[in-house]
Amino acid sequence: MKENKKAPVITIIESGPLKVSGSFTLLNENNYPIEAKSEVYLCRCGKSSNKPFCDGSHRNQ
Amino acid sequence: MGSGERKYKTNDITVYWKPSTCIHAGACINGLPRVFNPRRRPWIKLEESVTARIIEVVDKCPVDALTWKWNDEEKNQIVGTEHPNHIKNRRISLLENDDIETSNSASIQTMNNGPLIVKGGFLLERENGSRSKFSGTVSLCRCGASKLKPFCDGSHRAIDFKA
Repeated sequence: MKENKKAPVITIIESGPLKVSGSFTLLNENNYPIEAKSEVYLCRCGKSSNKPFCDGSHRNQ
Repeated sequence: MGSGERKYKTNDITVYWKPSTCIHAGACINGLPRVFNPRRRPWIKLEESVTARIIEVVDKCPVDALTWKWNDEEKNQIVGTEHPNHIKNRRISLLENDDIETSNSASIQTMNNGPLIVKGGFLLERENGSRSKFSGTVSLCRCGASKLKPFCDGSHRAIDFKA
């Protein structure tokens, strides 16, 4: 099978979330897909109320 | 194959799972909840039902997230359009090659109370704009406590991270 997809880029935003863009699949701990756009911001401060996505809570730390 | 793809076998059939095209229509989990249970791992357990019922439910998937084939090649040859999700009708390339070991797109998985696990190739862009290539499996911190950010160092356990 040939799938010529572009590798995703994971960008570390200073004092902020991870930005993920490109071709990727987001999965939960049961290997089941989480609906996501082709560009997402993932929480890495642990405070988001909308995990795994960022909700801006890092600013309140 | 893309990331996260799996195949599941019984003596009679093989069922293929392609998470990247799942639209959460629910035909599988509502049709045969004992076989298709996303809260369990593995989430598909074909031994929980019988071949005819599994085929019936897999054929109801509105996309190609779930497809199937007979393990007996002669039986595959006589399948027609009555089975919309037989791989002949949905993913014909699997008839020739259903090797699921090769993956060339990445998956990002959230671990229970733990990090993000990235599998497959990706580019990591740092705060200063420099980019480095990664492949294989990398754990990224999402609890905020790692001393090795952006990577996980196991600190989520020390702070009792819940997610």
